[in-house]
Amino acid sequence: MTILNRWAALAATFLALASSQSFAQDCPKLGGVLALTGAQGAIGKVIADAGRLAVEQVNKAGGVKGCQVEFILRDDTTQPSVGVDAARFLVDVQKVNAIVGLVGSGTALAVVNSVTVPNKIPVVGCCAVTPALTKMAEEGKTGGYWFRTIPTARTMALAHAKAVVDRGYKKTVIMYINNDFGNGVAPDAKVAIEKMGGKVVGIIGYAENQPSYRSDVTKALALEPDSLVLIGLSADGTIVLREWFSLGGTQNVVLHNTMRSMDVIKGIGERFLTKAVGIDNGQASGPSADAFNRDFQAAYSRPAVGPGLHTMYDATAITLLAMQAAPKLDGPSIRDALRAVQDPAGLEVGPGVEGLKKGLDALKAGKKIRYVGATGGFRFDKNGDVNGPMLVWKLSNGEIVTDSNITLDEMQALSTKAGF
Amino acid sequence: MIAQAIVDGFLSGAVVALGAIGVTFSLSILRFANFSHGDMLAVGGYVALFVLALVAGPGMLNSSFLSTPIAPFSFGWGVPLALLFAMVVAVAVALLLDALVFKRLRARGADPLTLVFASFGLALVLRNLVLLLFGPDAHNYSNEIQMAVRLPGPVLVLPDQILVFGVTLVVLAVLWFFLQRTRYGMAMRSVAENPVLSSIAGIDIASTIRLTWIVSSMLAALAGVFYGVTVQVRPEMGLNLLLPLFTAAILGGVGSVSGAVLGALIISLCENLLSLVIPSTYKPLVPFVLLLLILYFRPAGLFAPKGR
Amino acid sequence: MLSYLIFFITVAAILSIATLGLNLQWGVSGQFNAGVVGFLAVGGYGMAILTMPVSEQLIVRLNWPFAVGIMGALVVSGIVALLVGLATLRLRSDYLAIATFGIASSIQVLANNLEPLTGGSRGLVGIPRPFESMGAQAVGYGYLVIVLCVLAVVYAGLQALLRSPWGRVQRALREDEVVCAALGKNVVRFRLTAFVMGAMLMGLSGALYAGFIGTTSPSEFMPILTFQIWAMLIVGGSGSNAGAIAGSFVIWGLWTASGAVIVSVLPPQWQAQGGALQSILVGLVLVLTLLLRPQGLLGPRLTA
Repeated sequence: MTILNRWAALAATFLALASSQSFAQDCPKLGGVLALTGAQGAIGKVIADAGRLAVEQVNKAGGVKGCQVEFILRDDTTQPSVGVDAARFLVDVQKVNAIVGLVGSGTALAVVNSVTVPNKIPVVGCCAVTPALTKMAEEGKTGGYWFRTIPTARTMALAHAKAVVDRGYKKTVIMYINNDFGNGVAPDAKVAIEKMGGKVVGIIGYAENQPSYRSDVTKALALEPDSLVLIGLSADGTIVLREWFSLGGTQNVVLHNTMRSMDVIKGIGERFLTKAVGIDNGQASGPSADAFNRDFQAAYSRPAVGPGLHTMYDATAITLLAMQAAPKLDGPSIRDALRAVQDPAGLEVGPGVEGLKKGLDALKAGKKIRYVGATGGFRFDKNGDVNGPMLVWKLSNGEIVTDSNITLDEMQALSTKAGF
Repeated sequence: MIAQAIVDGFLSGAVVALGAIGVTFSLSILRFANFSHGDMLAVGGYVALFVLALVAGPGMLNSSFLSTPIAPFSFGWGVPLALLFAMVVAVAVALLLDALVFKRLRARGADPLTLVFASFGLALVLRNLVLLLFGPDAHNYSNEIQMAVRLPGPVLVLPDQILVFGVTLVVLAVLWFFLQRTRYGMAMRSVAENPVLSSIAGIDIASTIRLTWIVSSMLAALAGVFYGVTVQVRPEMGLNLLLPLFTAAILGGVGSVSGAVLGALIISLCENLLSLVIPSTYKPLVPFVLLLLILYFRPAGLFAPKGR
Repeated sequence: MLSYLIFFITVAAILSIATLGLNLQWGVSGQFNAGVVGFLAVGGYGMAILTMPVSEQLIVRLNWPFAVGIMGALVVSGIVALLVGLATLRLRSDYLAIATFGIASSIQVLANNLEPLTGGSRGLVGIPRPFESMGAQAVGYGYLVIVLCVLAVVYAGLQALLRSPWGRVQRALREDEVVCAALGKNVVRFRLTAFVMGAMLMGLSGALYAGFIGTTSPSEFMPILTFQIWAMLIVGGSGSNAGAIAGSFVIWGLWTASGAVIVSVLPPQWQAQGGALQSILVGLVLVLTLLLRPQGLLGPRLTA
């Protein structure tokens, strides 16, 4: 190779590298705040993987605005003050354009209220179900900068209620974990079940992190229920269910999506769960959810089961798509773009490198898209919440399968019936 | 319902009882509140988990003999084997921490509160090492659920829990014999009463202290393994058990082994009986309220050894 | 960058007020508070409850202004500390540790349960902040000024207190309680005042933090915060007020910086372990400081 050619090659390489460097001002940066350790760490760690998958796929599909997206993930150690500091650092120093994640309502509330809304940074939450954020949005305190891909507690309560009433259970006891999650879902579940024709004989909360839940289970069993609705996280939920069955409790149980994993099922024993069902976010039947499940399994050698995975993937994917769609990489533009990429008349785009590439290319060509994600076809309402289809799952031949779907329209009808 | 609550109280108090004995030793012989004791239970529980995973999982060490449950219990011979390993590791850790940290602070004449501080720091380190090595998920020793046996009452009990209770009573008897009838035990009691006089009388304080660590950590490992058998292991288990452990030791009277056991049973009984009338979400308040009451009305504890 | 620094300094300064309180309890008066976070919670919730706008879900509808809310939080923390102190002060020093540990977890349980009062597990949102109408920048700068002023006043007050006869008695009590009692000093009363004042400072810190962030919830007040404040005091040098402040900045800086460092240094698969590594680091810092440099960064040299 002649000297000139060599220099040309070097220059070309250098230019190529320089243009792909993400510290250029116009290159999008995505911040993530998750509980990777601490009380919610078990859940947060895997959720981070789902988010990372979305970023990698988008980058493989060509990146956003001609750059590879930089994903900066911070651990809030399940401590809201650390989460606020991390969000502050992401926004002020690393100048991220949007933040995704936020496990735990305490962190979500603090971050949204004190960091992202004042600084006009869009946040797409994956995992905080607290109604308090809906209230904030209704009161105009979020400026439209708060979104979440996880249905709120109310939606989940409706799904639980439908599962109970469909099976004709007449005397239900609800056991729930006394934290922002359980406390959000349980009261609504009671109201919904009763409005839909069922009967709740008792609603029993239990404290977190207790060495034993025997007395709580005994209390519940004393009410002689014919069914149990369990709203808890996987760790305590496992203990409660094990106690429940060991003390001879009925097998008619309705679980939450936190228990939807084979590890949890095995920890309790399939033979006890033949009649058990659970609820989860609905997935459009067909390619979108399957695509995500396949890719996740391939990337991380584990099945895509567990809370928050699908919602985190969608939160990340839709944020990146919005960044591409936004005319400028600033808060207000991305905020508006987040709804724009859900245009009902748009080209349908799904998870996976191909799907995202289709979406990104369409956006680059100025076309409209509609993102149908790992959680199905969701739309942000005026408060940034999603109402999505839900599903009821059950165990069949050692696998977790879908028993029935509750479409968006059905959810609306249930919501009206319950008086929400 | 009440009968069930009483039986539950007795049976679930046994695990805390074993841990509380170690606490009462450290309060009376080592003379400081060891806040890392809870995490010693976690260490024991997790080492056992590791051994059980080895014998149940794929690999050379798989042994179906050890993994098969011995009816009517939920575990097989793997658990006593795992317990052995757990005790060895727990003792090693305890002696290591004493040599590296506590002995040096004692040599410098540090007051007890400095030792407590140090134990706080060590508790954080131990807990997060467990987190690092084993991850944040909770684990069960066995995926089998034990079915409860119906006794007259009607009262439902699990064979595992009865075994744990029984072993606790045996441990109590063995410790009694050890403390009352053996030279080493009497040395421990003597140092608890009066270290200065003991050393004048020729007792080797240093080796008595080591012995105290050994006995406490063995009991902690036992408690941790039993906790894993009857409930589950998770990294925060040490922190969650700390308040009941201390309350039990103080309730029973610092220095009294049987007091610690009885204190634990009282706490557990109160928790279970009160659950019948107050919402379960207030249950974590019970050990603390009991603690305040005993500190207010009878700080020496209910069963303090004579001469205190 | 500047706005992050302002934020960081504000939070570190708020935390140093709590550390100063702990210094009064431990460094000066030799009492072991293992439930620091509990008093922060009392202050934070006190402030929030008193200043929240009227809402039908809450039974307290005072909606007091910021400054009054802070005063109220101080009073409430003082009362709680008084109740606690009276119950435990005549007992062995490590009993107080256990009791305060229990109190902290109990306050958290109560906050989680008493929904009409504290908002339950959902917490309280929308705590009014000073200068809010003037925009985010004004809130940031304004709050920094408020916090630094409060810190300065507290520091000066504590320094004066230590030089006063009261302060001398406290130091004497730490050295030899029996002699002081023999000399006619009411030991319990001196201990109690130190404990209550220290707790009030912790309540002040919690109140300022709640007012800064605008929300509060039970998950803000977990035991780890107690560890962090201790580490701040031990590393800075217990017994020294300047040390308490220095330690707060150092430890909070380390805690938050290690998060950022971990992200840039560790490969992604390891980043998830970052929080555990951070905690181990704090624990080691605590223990190693005790072993190698017991006086901390700025503490007085310990005699005999």
